[in-house]
Amino acid sequence: MLKVWKFQISLFGILFVAILMEATVIPAVWAPLRVDFFIGMIIGQIIFVPFSQGFPFVILGSLILQAFSGARLGLIPLLYIFIFLAIEVLKNFIYLENAYTQALLGIFFYFLFVVAMAFLSDFSYLKGTTSPLAAGAVLTGCLSPMMVYIVGRLQTVYELEYE
Amino acid sequence: MARSSTRVALLIGAAALILVLLSTGQYSSSSLGISSIREGYGIFERVVRAPFSFIAGIWNHYVFLVNTSYENETLQKELNELRVRTMRLQELENENERLRAMLDFKGKFHDFSLIPASVLSQDITHVFKTVIIDKGSRSGFGINTPILNPSGVIGKVIAVSPHTAQVLLITDPNSSIPALIESSRVKGIIKGRGESLLSLEYVRSVEDVKVGDSVVTSGLLGMFPKGLKLGYVREVRKDDRQIFADIIVEPCVKMEKIEEVFGIAQGVEVSD
Repeated sequence: MLKVWKFQISLFGILFVAILMEATVIPAVWAPLRVDFFIGMIIGQIIFVPFSQGFPFVILGSLILQAFSGARLGLIPLLYIFIFLAIEVLKNFIYLENAYTQALLGIFFYFLFVVAMAFLSDFSYLKGTTSPLAAGAVLTGCLSPMMVYIVGRLQTVYELEYE
Repeated sequence: MARSSTRVALLIGAAALILVLLSTGQYSSSSLGISSIREGYGIFERVVRAPFSFIAGIWNHYVFLVNTSYENETLQKELNELRVRTMRLQELENENERLRAMLDFKGKFHDFSLIPASVLSQDITHVFKTVIIDKGSRSGFGINTPILNPSGVIGKVIAVSPHTAQVLLITDPNSSIPALIESSRVKGIIKGRGESLLSLEYVRSVEDVKVGDSVVTSGLLGMFPKGLKLGYVREVRKDDRQIFADIIVEPCVKMEKIEEVFGIAQGVEVSD
């Protein structure tokens, strides 16, 4: 049980570093660019962690992310929980443990997240953001397998074994 | 069976949580301990930044001083030039004061108490435009504190914790500020468009608005003091079939480049 707690605390530590990259470092390099590290962590949760632990992590993680956005309270958790459940369903049809699949899922859900957010506010707000959107999607695609690997590696380090 | 009932319970719990969060309304993120997350992040960000600032300090203050003497001379010349200009401006300000007094106008901007702050992080989404700054309620920031820099208005505080504050930029789709065209005194509402531009709304098509006109805060609602620069009219589209003109405004401040900002301390007299 202690190992599970250590594992979860480590995951939140990684999430904080991811937020530092998402909200401070990457915008300092190119202001309109947004890269999503959390989608990769969600895929990692689905592959390596049971639903009963992965789901609360996604809820708490997305609530933390909410603190760094001006979006209506609850909107970001709503979208990430949808992504989590969608991938949970998809795992019955596709092989998730493939890095290319993870990258493609990262790109797909990055766009889905942006489109859903624009749909709930206004599509015109995305005008003129084609290049940062494309770059953000590609980087999210590249980072997703890395985040999955980190989650898997952590699980191995803490010697957690699930059925 | 037990596993599926756990899932159902978690799903119901999550749905209830989302409904509660969504029903609490926009920008109430100071509640539910979310501000403490920002507070924690502020400390974390400062700890991470410290070694980089240390190295940057060594670089800037020791290694990078090769041309300092030359720069010093140049800056001295500029300083002298600026002193002359300041004297001239002082004269103009005095003249302005006298005219104001003559017209029985009350000086409105002398009591400003500006609190400096630095930007910690940007919004993590593409659509919304907010930033988190490294000063909070302990420094005098509160909800609706106007945020600006020497170029013009940046936004207002929407959530505050003891050492951090979340600022809604004027380019955010949810931002709206009473404004007026400086030359013609035509009033409207400046709204964010989500991108780097603003729109001036509720200005009738018959009003005199030209490209290049300066747009300033009108001081209505009392949140922003009157006369703070917002931007310049970039495009005016008028249609005889529409009551209001479609006016695009370019903000004075390049939002993607803001680093240092000022907050106007609360309790400052504003125009209405």
